[in-house]
Amino acid sequence: MVIDQFKLDGTVAIIAGCGKTWLEEIASAFAEVGADIIVAGPDLQRIERAAKAARYFSKESLSVLTDLCNAQEVQTLVGRIYSQFGRIDILVNNFNLEFAKPFLDIMEEEWSQVIDTNLTSVFHCCKSVGKYMVEQKAGRIVNIVSGLGERGLPNGAVYCASMGGVIQLTKVLALEWARKNIRVNTIAIGWMENDNAGTMEDPIVKYIPVQRRGSAEDIIPLVIFLASEASSYLSGNVYAVDGGLMARG
Amino acid sequence: MILDRFSLEGYVAIVTGGGTGLGKAMCHALAEAGADIVVAARSSGPIHKTAEEVIKLGRRAMAVPTDVCESQQVNGLVERTINEFGKIDILINNAGIARGIEASPRDPVHKEMGPIWEITDAMWHQAIDVNLTSAFYCCRAVARHMIERGSGKIINMASVGGLRAVRNNFTYCSAKAGLIMFTKTLAVSWARNNIQVNCIAPGVFPGVEVLPSTIQQFARFMPMGRCGELREIGPLAVFLASQGSDYITGECFVVDGAGSIGYAPTGYAPILPIEIFSKE
Repeated sequence: MVIDQFKLDGTVAIIAGCGKTWLEEIASAFAEVGADIIVAGPDLQRIERAAKAARYFSKESLSVLTDLCNAQEVQTLVGRIYSQFGRIDILVNNFNLEFAKPFLDIMEEEWSQVIDTNLTSVFHCCKSVGKYMVEQKAGRIVNIVSGLGERGLPNGAVYCASMGGVIQLTKVLALEWARKNIRVNTIAIGWMENDNAGTMEDPIVKYIPVQRRGSAEDIIPLVIFLASEASSYLSGNVYAVDGGLMARG
Repeated sequence: MILDRFSLEGYVAIVTGGGTGLGKAMCHALAEAGADIVVAARSSGPIHKTAEEVIKLGRRAMAVPTDVCESQQVNGLVERTINEFGKIDILINNAGIARGIEASPRDPVHKEMGPIWEITDAMWHQAIDVNLTSAFYCCRAVARHMIERGSGKIINMASVGGLRAVRNNFTYCSAKAGLIMFTKTLAVSWARNNIQVNCIAPGVFPGVEVLPSTIQQFARFMPMGRCGELREIGPLAVFLASQGSDYITGECFVVDGAGSIGYAPTGYAPILPIEIFSKE
């Protein structure tokens, strides 16, 4: 039955991320459709909350405090998961350190920090997990970035560069691992709900074709789709879930 | 239950070109997900067969012979659907013809299209009509209904040929590229009416009539080492027709096994040894 292809029964999924992200919602949803979840990141409270949400559906789920910018810590994390679970089917990267500054004012440390958090972490996670996926000859990676990885925004130099870098990395991994039965895709999200949402002062909303910001509920189904067998012939591309922002440009 | 977001229970869908190939595969998938299906195409035989198969899956179905290049017939199709089923939730504009881009039993792997002066006025118009104008007729026909209801899903079947050029294939590539931009314009125009419009850009999906040996010839050029299978289109169509994609509109969903994301040579070419990129 076609709906069965959206399920993740019997899979082991790592949800890695930090910054303004949706670890909890993704972890919970993936667990609901059958996956065992490991949530990894540097924010203890957040990852524990996410793992707790996942455990409602999957008792094996857990969280592991990890500095994802540190190659050694990532390698240790992934090795431990592989020993414990025997396989790694899915990796979701959701890194989103937001940063805005006129280009000439950006300091070198700030540039490095944003690149490290949003891009280099993805490099570390894909490298450590990818090794096992290549051995398994099976795997799915979903990288969540912003639509600003394809478009520009004044003051967004390093943020846009970091997001764009992930999009490009996805394409290369998709090609290198295409014959290893590993699919790698990117999701580009638009303007998401924040503290401004619903107030009169939110100037962005009228520029979004559907006239509202996005919420976790809006993006979760696409993450599930790309992590599941339902997307078996999709790899390498960016798919925007943004209420029509990318279309109107 | 999060899986409910992908269900099409109670929805009514029109699928043009639904008698064969991708269209038929999508009819099956949408029906499995719970939708009733109106199958439209020029030839009566295949669409009736598809409709029967949908009924066997436990859904309602109706076959309506339609030439989508004739706007009156398209309007008639929409009217009949509303009379019979009371509403239209989903429209899939899949009718289209591909010349020089598809694998077929008779074509060698790299069939060359002739030079531009071999394209007659009629050939050009026909390709634009079937691949692009038909989508315009269908979208125009359902527009008021969907806008009044305040909801709707439209999926246009484009192609990677609308994103990457194929030598001498002026008609198909231009029409499909037009369809992609038509999709985005619809999306942006109807976003406030809660109608989501997206397109699918399939890579190489050989039909059931193509010889396995021909498929294999194509397959060795694909990054995944294989072409697409018809069963792999259905789940994507279901996703784009479902509530799960309510915040997705104006997007082009490329489904081609990483075929179009490479730099020349793209995925649709042999993998060259890495040394040639670093010769001094």
